[in-house]
Amino acid sequence: MHFATRSVLPGVLTAALLATGATACTYRNAPLPAAGQASAARHTGAGAELVDGAGARVALVPGGAHPYFRPWRTAGATVQKTYKLGAVTFDETAEWDQQKQNNLLSTLAARGYNAFGIFGVSPTDINTTFADLKSQGFPVASLGSCPAGSTDEADFCLSTNVELAAYKAAKAAITAMGGKGTLVHLTGNNVDANTQLRIKGVARAVRESGGKVGLLQTVTDIDTDLGTAQKAVSDLMAAKGGRITGIVATAYNPAVAAADAVRSSGSKAKVIAIDDDAKILSGIRQGTVTATVVQNPVGQAEIGTWALALLQTKQCTVRDPGVEVDSGSFVVTRANVADYDTARQARTARLKTEFADTYLSCG
Amino acid sequence: MTTSVSPPRTTAEAPAAGHRMPFWVNQRLGLLVLVIALGVLFGVLRPAFLDQRLVLFPLLRDVATLTVVALAQMVALSVGHMNLAVGRMAAFGAMFAGVGYDKLHLPMQAGLLLCLAAGAVIGAVTGWLIARTGGSSFVVTLAMDFALLGLVSLTYSALTEDAAFTTRPAGIDALRSYSLADLCLGPVCGSPAIPQLAQFTVLAMLGLGVLYGCTRIGRELLLTGANPAAAELSGIPTGRRVLLAHTLSGLLAALAGFMAAAGTGTFRASIGDDFMLPSFLGAVLGGTLLTGGVVSVLGTLLGTALVGVIRKGLDLLGVGLESLNIYLGCILLLALSADRIRTVVSYRKVVRST
Repeated sequence: MHFATRSVLPGVLTAALLATGATACTYRNAPLPAAGQASAARHTGAGAELVDGAGARVALVPGGAHPYFRPWRTAGATVQKTYKLGAVTFDETAEWDQQKQNNLLSTLAARGYNAFGIFGVSPTDINTTFADLKSQGFPVASLGSCPAGSTDEADFCLSTNVELAAYKAAKAAITAMGGKGTLVHLTGNNVDANTQLRIKGVARAVRESGGKVGLLQTVTDIDTDLGTAQKAVSDLMAAKGGRITGIVATAYNPAVAAADAVRSSGSKAKVIAIDDDAKILSGIRQGTVTATVVQNPVGQAEIGTWALALLQTKQCTVRDPGVEVDSGSFVVTRANVADYDTARQARTARLKTEFADTYLSCG
Repeated sequence: MTTSVSPPRTTAEAPAAGHRMPFWVNQRLGLLVLVIALGVLFGVLRPAFLDQRLVLFPLLRDVATLTVVALAQMVALSVGHMNLAVGRMAAFGAMFAGVGYDKLHLPMQAGLLLCLAAGAVIGAVTGWLIARTGGSSFVVTLAMDFALLGLVSLTYSALTEDAAFTTRPAGIDALRSYSLADLCLGPVCGSPAIPQLAQFTVLAMLGLGVLYGCTRIGRELLLTGANPAAAELSGIPTGRRVLLAHTLSGLLAALAGFMAAAGTGTFRASIGDDFMLPSFLGAVLGGTLLTGGVVSVLGTLLGTALVGVIRKGLDLLGVGLESLNIYLGCILLLALSADRIRTVVSYRKVVRST
């Protein structure tokens, strides 16, 4: 068969010229609108105690449906009741697509929500979304994950330091392995900035072992659902189970799958999981899971919603816009599995004090 | 490849039947009426639906991007093929634009050209493989999808820290946020609901409308899709037409990838992850046949707009995740059923009148 370029060129050239010509046609000759951000008129004498939250309508928007965000719904409802906020909604319909999340946020704004706590789908794109919302005068908090890079366009970020949490998990695994052996890292979407940070955290812990611990494999892209994670872990155990002495899982589904696989295969590998799914906690009690690193989603939603209400009512401003605050991560072992939530609640209470004293400026 | 025994009929051609179908049978008209009716319904239920800046602007920006995705699929469908790698080709094209901006510091137009060229090349390779090997487009584009998934991920991992090219060339922010309200003729300004990004969609639609409606190559593409054996016997170089269709499909997918990146902020590996389903949905709802030979450029826009309007309306009504997709599926089924009922009723009328 002979292909003449004649058949390809017309279409390519037409569309290329059309598209290229179009880029020269983005114009603005209309007068610039006034900046949407209203100046902060501070209430006086109230400090960080919310005086009147009735005007605050807060939307908590995760990147999509995920068990990690379940506590956000109840925490948001609790804060609404406690501080008598106008409304608090939890909307998980973004389906892990940044474009859909952007659309959802603008829809929520049209529905009258005026403050946003967001877990951005794409850490590299979410600053654009934050800037858009801020330009329309809405206070914005980055909850559960901070934007990639050194800039944060949100008012503040309240999140687990994912690199530190992964480092803690890997250190716990190495300690459980007796300081030597072969480690495997199970994690989420490879092309996600947070995954890259987790990979860095684990690599740092392995490096610090001085060559006594080797990282056999980093398995990515298995946090889509439990079935995918189970299959990947089962394949891994079948192929290399004998060589693995430690497993660190820094994503939810792989953590549950690793706990199941070690229990069913009778492997001696030490598993360090993430989050506090019932299966993982049960594994810790039974000894099949050595430890888990739990995060603080309740604190993120509670403190995030409260601080957003203070910002929305102009009662407070953020001293250092874009400040990143660690919401805490805790290593849970058999020793503290019964009472780790007390430490988490204490961290949440401390966060509130830190916000009032350090991060917010209230009249 | 499925063949069709009926002669191809494009949007530009009227039915050749002796008894013409009534005007209200026209599928595009039906879709337009449905889109408007749903818009009015949602506007009545939630007046915020008509908020130009907060609702209509992002809705139309989304529709503009997804229409280009659906056009990319439509071009492949026109020759009776499909392009399962449409999302990954978008990511591939966007990756080249990202490299151009981040590493080569190209201006926006040059990066876009690089993106389109990369999309066209990968589309041409796909088309060449299909035409040369005689393999099924399903298998070849699926294989291409997997290959590009690995290639794009590896490239981003190797060249970036955060799996994204974050350099934004001058002008790209304007492309994302400007609407026709930024264009004024004296005291009269355009609508803030219409994004300037939609210019790409309009130009792509015009280009494809001319290609399929007014050129010999366009008609040959459709005949290749309707009946490749007959097309071959008629002297049409079907292999070249398949190559052209996939080249155009790759180019349009890359354009959609660029638009998606411009719309969200950065050039990242996950661009196009969710493109495959909307690409079929928009094209098929709009009247393009999966078996090839019939396309509808305007219908593709309307089909995509229908899905967008339904989703946005349900979002505004506060429908939760559990119910949203059920409602979306039900309304789409109703839309398709209404179209089928309209066709059957009109056909009976025509039969009765003869």
